Amino acid sequence: MMLVRAFVSHYRRHPFQLAALAVMIVLATMLWTGVTLLTEQARHSLFQSEEAVAAQVHVVRADGQRVSVDDFVDLRMAGLCVAPWLEIQRPPPEGRVIGIDPLAMGCFGESAPGGATGSLDGSPFVDISDAIRLSREGYESRLYLLAANESVALPEGYALRAFSLAPETGELADSFLLNLDALSLLVLLITGLLVRSVHRLGVAQRRQSFELLYRFGVPRRRVQQLLALELVVLSGFCVVPGLWLGTQLAAMLGGGFGQALDSLFDVTLYAGSAASLPWQAAAVMLLLVLTACLVDWLVPQRWQGVISSRHGRVIAALVLFVGLATVALAVDLAWAFAGTALVFAGAGWLTPGLLALAAQTLSERAALDGTGPLARWRRRELAAMFRHLALPVVALQFAMATVLAVQALVTTFESTFEEWLAQRLEAEFYVEVPRGADASLAAERLQELEGIGPWHRVARGEARIRAGEPGKDAEPESDQVPADLFALTPVSDLVRDWSLLASSGRPWEKLEQGGVMINEQLARRHQLGVGDTLKIGIGGTSTEANVVAIYADYGRPAGEVMVSGAALPENFSPGFESFSVNPGDLTMADISEQLADVWNISEVTIRDNASIRALASQVFDQTFLLTRAISLLTLVLAAVALLIMSWVFFTTRAWYFQLLSIWGLPARVVRGQLRRLSVLLTLAVTLAALPLGIWLTWVLVSRINPLAFGWSLPMELYPQFWLELGVVAAATGMVVAHLMRRQLVHRADRKQVET
Amino acid sequence: MRTHTGFIALLVAAAFTGCSDSAPETGFAGLAQYAGEADGSGFLQPQPGDTLNFPEDWGPHPQHRIEWWYLTANLTTADGSPLGVQWTQFRQALQPRPIESDPPDPETWPLDAAWMAHGAVSFEGDHWFVEKLARGDVGHAGATAEPFRVWLDDWRLEALPGSAEWRLQVEGDGWSYDLRLGNTGGVVAHGEEGFSAKSASGDGSMYFSLVDLQVDGTVTLGEKTLDVSGKGWFDREWSSQFLKTGQQGWDWFALHLEDGQKLMAFRLLEDDDTYLSGSWINTSGVVEVLGNDELTLTAVNWKKTQQGRVPVTWRLTIPSREVDLTIKAPPGTYWNLGLYPYWESPVSVTGSHEGVGYMELTGYSH
Repeated sequence: MMLVRAFVSHYRRHPFQLAALAVMIVLATMLWTGVTLLTEQARHSLFQSEEAVAAQVHVVRADGQRVSVDDFVDLRMAGLCVAPWLEIQRPPPEGRVIGIDPLAMGCFGESAPGGATGSLDGSPFVDISDAIRLSREGYESRLYLLAANESVALPEGYALRAFSLAPETGELADSFLLNLDALSLLVLLITGLLVRSVHRLGVAQRRQSFELLYRFGVPRRRVQQLLALELVVLSGFCVVPGLWLGTQLAAMLGGGFGQALDSLFDVTLYAGSAASLPWQAAAVMLLLVLTACLVDWLVPQRWQGVISSRHGRVIAALVLFVGLATVALAVDLAWAFAGTALVFAGAGWLTPGLLALAAQTLSERAALDGTGPLARWRRRELAAMFRHLALPVVALQFAMATVLAVQALVTTFESTFEEWLAQRLEAEFYVEVPRGADASLAAERLQELEGIGPWHRVARGEARIRAGEPGKDAEPESDQVPADLFALTPVSDLVRDWSLLASSGRPWEKLEQGGVMINEQLARRHQLGVGDTLKIGIGGTSTEANVVAIYADYGRPAGEVMVSGAALPENFSPGFESFSVNPGDLTMADISEQLADVWNISEVTIRDNASIRALASQVFDQTFLLTRAISLLTLVLAAVALLIMSWVFFTTRAWYFQLLSIWGLPARVVRGQLRRLSVLLTLAVTLAALPLGIWLTWVLVSRINPLAFGWSLPMELYPQFWLELGVVAAATGMVVAHLMRRQLVHRADRKQVET
Repeated sequence: MRTHTGFIALLVAAAFTGCSDSAPETGFAGLAQYAGEADGSGFLQPQPGDTLNFPEDWGPHPQHRIEWWYLTANLTTADGSPLGVQWTQFRQALQPRPIESDPPDPETWPLDAAWMAHGAVSFEGDHWFVEKLARGDVGHAGATAEPFRVWLDDWRLEALPGSAEWRLQVEGDGWSYDLRLGNTGGVVAHGEEGFSAKSASGDGSMYFSLVDLQVDGTVTLGEKTLDVSGKGWFDREWSSQFLKTGQQGWDWFALHLEDGQKLMAFRLLEDDDTYLSGSWINTSGVVEVLGNDELTLTAVNWKKTQQGRVPVTWRLTIPSREVDLTIKAPPGTYWNLGLYPYWESPVSVTGSHEGVGYMELTGYSH
């Protein structure tokens, strides 16, 4: 017992250190648990979505018309096990709901789609009669007839198609999960480094105590055991509140995250689905703390020396180079992440040494230049600090680089998205064609109106596409994949200013003449380029067309093909129709009145540009809430860690700084030196984070984003973020200096009392 | 009576769809949960004095909560082996609809009613069973009085055009039957002009049967198609409150005796009492109603099954007629394992009379 008391007496003398370590473990657990819980929920949701329609097929009409209740009845009466699946698209925050008939699904047995959710509470399943009521409130809806298996013999006039809950996203969902896993790992790495740095500092201070214990006959092994036990107990106490806080964090971010999942993959987040995580998280955090703090015991002594040796630096440079090359050449996301990890490892390995070397060199140069001794001292002291604070410096560097990159990514996306929205929402008003109303009559009426501005008719539906060679026989229908169809009539001036990612000459004219445009997602997924031939099936009619342009289509997973409305076959049945209208010399009220007259209804549904834009921005904000929040929290954690570490480190050298006073420097000058020293330290870390952050920005926009989401973003730099980070770093440095000043004053007062 | 089990399973199906926050179930399959609620719900409740109306009563009764069309047949194959067939279709209304009003628009996927069908074959100790469910008024399940037709998906019982015969087609997983039914007798109204009391307090249902059905056709079991023929028994019954509170299930028997007479008898199980009733139908089709004190029904042998203990041998007596029957299920287990499991087996009759028939036991499953 006495041994234990002697062992922990260090923390009685330095309670702040114990608190710092505890806070680190709590915050690290919180952050990691939060991110991991969300990742697990996303994984579970994606899995459930896949499970819900696993191996399902749906029945379509061979004539291309949409299936109806009558088709359902005919198929059931023919003995086929089919069930209705009515999708209602509502704008956020409600999102999509799916109407199902649990009675009709009885024949599916355990493979009933949607059965895994077990409830009809709107998340996302509801009884189909409730879904119908929703659809009659004006939301876009689509009925599918799911079939229980692929081997059913269909009556003539029907065909089977593979059914997917979400749009065809290829490997995007997996990539998304990989992104989240990578984020979790990064958080784990940064928090591990922080915990290790705080712990190592304490151990360094306790080395003399351990030596004393050894001289009193306590074997070194016993000391190690007690040290491990101490960590286990501390982790045990700290992990629990960390888990709770992490769960709260996940719950807080869950709404936005769910929205992101819904927007990106049409997948609903099923909350509370990762119940087994807390104990796993506790185990992982315990392992992390033990590994981070006790890894020295596992690594042979001679290897530890290598890390900071010249050989070590060469190896680090090699790792860095291999990482850079891997990312540049990566063909899939796993390689991109592996390369990124190597770059981080190499950079983290090199940074403290390089910074110390730079400070040392500057100091030596200062000596040669005849610069004052204080400046030389400051630089040498800085070099010493880089070596001693290597771990928190690296952690802060990583955190800053990540924040920088994520911030740049989000801002780039925001500005690109704004620009894209502006061109997509060129029209001032959007008029929805009521269900059953004749859009052609309305188009004729608009044509007759004098003074009306540019307008076009939009029809949305489904096409089946396949890239192919001209003239080659049609591929089997099963080889074709579904894509959203976007038809324009006429190809008005409202769209001609779109900035296209790639195009042939005069693309809009070629679109009018039978060419097609495709979105970036479709192009990337099927390696399509301008000039390629595409086989398109619309409403049971198959045609071939040349790709005349590729357009950006941010923030959604579905592939889309744009055609001129004139190219649509007679039997095409649109899922949704609208008119984009600039009223020109007329008022929208006039136009609305005309359309109401054509359709013989009392009121026309009109949305203005601003409301749609607001809705889109809302979806955007929700989508990036998580990324922003996590990166900000990581930065805060790293900054707090640096603050704690610097303060503790400065405290250990307080006697040394006090020598400056003893040597005759006025207190004001000593304080100034401390301020410059701490600000230099944090600014140097920021500086070291910049190249890594810029490189990471490039990786995110040009490598990971296209691989994960199917669309790329332009690479843009935002120096104001660098400045912001610099201000945060300088502020941290100033706070450290302020704390040190209090420490020195306190110490001087104590000395005076003692004398 | 033909209290059918699955009935209220349909109610449960309604609960699946979120349309009903059902109270805790009482009685088998919740059939007693309406006790005391019938008034004010808008559903009509049969009562003494109600009579049968044809042809309307062959069709559905949208003002009543529950009803079913039920057929059992004791058949023999070409080589004389006994084979039992059951088909039942239930309708469970979630809200009443006046007879004169139009059914709801199928485009709205209405859930004013739900349908359930059961099909089973019992042969050489094996029992095949399938359950089907459907939403009412969409079109793939329903019933009409004229022409007589009851259907759910591809299962259907329908009058053949230009013929007095009916045809029953049912297909399960790896088995099916296709039977023709010819009625050689009249309609048998049970109880008081068709009103069949189900408790001493007078609650009950409208109930009639066709007991002289000649059945012919084929039964396919796997790769094997069997020519079959024999006797059938068809029931129609409807009500809005079937069981009285406290009644947990029933034992029901429909027997063809060798001398051409028929017997229907049932016992409703209550916590501390039982309610017995029956109909003795002579060869001319004349019905003698058997009251609670006029027959006895006693379980003689029980069989342990995975689903629960079931009385598989019974003694039925009608002292006034010196009838003393031993009713026995053949070896095997005959659970209809649908939403609400119940026992449905062919039986043989020995004792004062010989014969065959069907037995339905509810409330014995775990």
